[in-house]
Amino acid sequence: MILLEPHNVIIQTTLGEKIIKPSSLDVAFVDYDGVRFHLSTPQSKTLLLLSMHIRCWDELVKYGALEILQREYGSLLQPQAEPEYNVSLVIDLEQIPASPEDRSAFILSIALFKRNALAAPFELAFKNQKALESSGSGQGELMEIHYRDEEAIYVQASHDRVTVIFSTIFADETDRIFGKVFLQEFVDARRQPAIQNAPQVLYSNRDPPLEIRHLANLRNTEDTGYVTFVLFPRHFTPANAPGTISHIQLFRDYLHYHIKCSKAYMHSRMRHRVAEFQKVLNRAKQEVATTERKTVTGRTMSTR
Amino acid sequence: MSLLAPIICDNGTGYSKIGFAGNSDPSFFLQCLPNCNCYSGTCFTVISGPPVPSKPGQIASKRGVEDLDFFIGDEALANAKTPGFGLNYPIRHGMIDNWDHMERYWEQTIFKYLRAEPEDHYFLLVRPQSPVIVEAPLTQSLQTEPPLNPPENREQTAEIFFESFNIKGLYIAVQAVLALAASWSSNRVTDRTLTGTVIDSGDGVTHVIPCAEGYVIGSAIKHIPIAGRDITQFVLNLMRERGETTAIPPEDQLRVAGKVKENYSYVCQDIVKEFRRFDAEPYKFFERFEGEHSVTGRKYNVDVGYERFLAPEIFFNPEIYSSDFLTPLPQIVDDVIQQSPIDVRRGLYKNIVLSGGSTMFQHFGNRLKRDLKQLVDRRLDASALASGSALKSSGVEVDVISHKRQRYAVWFGGSLLASLPEFYTSCHTKAQYDEIGPSICRRYQIFGSAT
Repeated sequence: MILLEPHNVIIQTTLGEKIIKPSSLDVAFVDYDGVRFHLSTPQSKTLLLLSMHIRCWDELVKYGALEILQREYGSLLQPQAEPEYNVSLVIDLEQIPASPEDRSAFILSIALFKRNALAAPFELAFKNQKALESSGSGQGELMEIHYRDEEAIYVQASHDRVTVIFSTIFADETDRIFGKVFLQEFVDARRQPAIQNAPQVLYSNRDPPLEIRHLANLRNTEDTGYVTFVLFPRHFTPANAPGTISHIQLFRDYLHYHIKCSKAYMHSRMRHRVAEFQKVLNRAKQEVATTERKTVTGRTMSTR
Repeated sequence: MSLLAPIICDNGTGYSKIGFAGNSDPSFFLQCLPNCNCYSGTCFTVISGPPVPSKPGQIASKRGVEDLDFFIGDEALANAKTPGFGLNYPIRHGMIDNWDHMERYWEQTIFKYLRAEPEDHYFLLVRPQSPVIVEAPLTQSLQTEPPLNPPENREQTAEIFFESFNIKGLYIAVQAVLALAASWSSNRVTDRTLTGTVIDSGDGVTHVIPCAEGYVIGSAIKHIPIAGRDITQFVLNLMRERGETTAIPPEDQLRVAGKVKENYSYVCQDIVKEFRRFDAEPYKFFERFEGEHSVTGRKYNVDVGYERFLAPEIFFNPEIYSSDFLTPLPQIVDDVIQQSPIDVRRGLYKNIVLSGGSTMFQHFGNRLKRDLKQLVDRRLDASALASGSALKSSGVEVDVISHKRQRYAVWFGGSLLASLPEFYTSCHTKAQYDEIGPSICRRYQIFGSAT
């Protein structure tokens, strides 16, 4: 598994099971970036209530998340969210599409709940870019999404591109070094002919990029890094846009996943090396010549 | 950020049960769909993928991601036939065998299935009580105590979780203690105590584990080589003898026997009476099992008769199934408690907790309680007689607790304990790990009990 999937597996499997066999249910689970879900059947076994808590909900609403959710889920979206959560969907198991393809597409769309909510600023930026393109100059609003405690995504549209900036913080020393290598690799990898069309990636440590330098609430310590993606119109043509949004949202998780995987890989190499060295050491062991020791009366001693 | 729910991981030889604290059921049973029946060999904590290369080759020119190309659980079984892929079982007999695979297994559970950022979560892992030594040489049978899961094992686990995944905090719990905690959900339990005897019966082996105030009395643990797999085999034998199996295609026979065991079996109170009842009114008690050939779709049905109550009877009268192992379960439980320190025995008799799928038979608890009570009373009477009827005991309370969550009792107990506020203070945190090192896992703190 190289790429992380945009949909939530727990929602997908639970819905799939409940459609076949409805039963009462009350589960809480999470998704990346501190998103909390609660799936329950408060009224009847066939009426599922799916609620989501997302840290940056207010910002997302400001950038039009509600319209996107309305477009995706229509009447499923509840006007009043469950207490302690930001947004709720009600899924009636008796009114879901009957054919297997439609059904799995429906389940998948529900499983993409978080992705759709977080897609709002990106869609808005793509729209703004289209509007600015005709005027030929100018810049759109700088959108800030504080999706984690100390990290944020900044999205800005200008007349010829959309800039997406991630601020990243590595809690662990080792992670920071791995992260640095990775991010520099991103910059270098673009030189390969196969991925010339990929968006341009810039990485800076400590110094924020020019676009966001004027912001007051930036934290410029040694463990902060900024990754800038420059998306050109070819990356968000109507055909490409959904994929681009799904991937770019998961960038931070993708990065951390791969840092962890490379650590695991290093560990397995280390274990292998140790096992090899141990073999060498064992070969060097001298065979101890066993001499029989006897007492005066001629009896042998044995260890017990 | 508000604290996110801790993750409970119970990696067993058979299934891995993984989910978030506060829920009543695990979110994932990896490798098995909840409805499918799995038998030895087909259902394991599996990982499939090409073997880890022994030499990295020219590292500079190769920037591949081959080490990410693997599957776990059901997907591993589905991909097992792909060329270059093979099935690996990183856990054997309850012990982690291959750390490379295990690390990658966890990697994928966390990121693909749970979709959790490990840095934001506390983890509760379940440490198996003791690996079962299957082929114990006869000469060593006197020192029957198999080694407990060595602390080095826990240290390695902590190393992986803290260093690879940077988790916030880790708690390594003992299986039996979690099973005791799970019994608090029963309405018959009035005080939350961690003293009791756990009878844990899964697919392979049944353990009887005494626990005193959260600590396992290792010297008194006993294992019984009768568990789910044997019951299924016994059901199959009974059906074969009656000639029912002719209707069932050979490859489905074991599966059908498993279904019969799960759906129709119960524990009777008196075997002779039960036989009589069945003979008097066969139409009332005999059930019909309807199946479908897995390939051709041909329908077939079989009668389900005496095996309904005989199947779980092998716990109480093992001689009807096996000729090697002849001690009934109540006797074993009694022995275990008698081997424990005298001051906890009352607590152990009073709180006998069932856990695992093979203890789910109807009335299993009642029967065990009755048989055990008889044993205890007989001994008390004998001692009263021996003292010339001068001293009479006030009696020993025997109680067997069965509850709704028995099947995943260990996981559920973990979920219960991890949602207590004390959980966070009992965890080993990342800061402590950085300060002290993996050896902190040798310290084990119990919490949550009311006493």
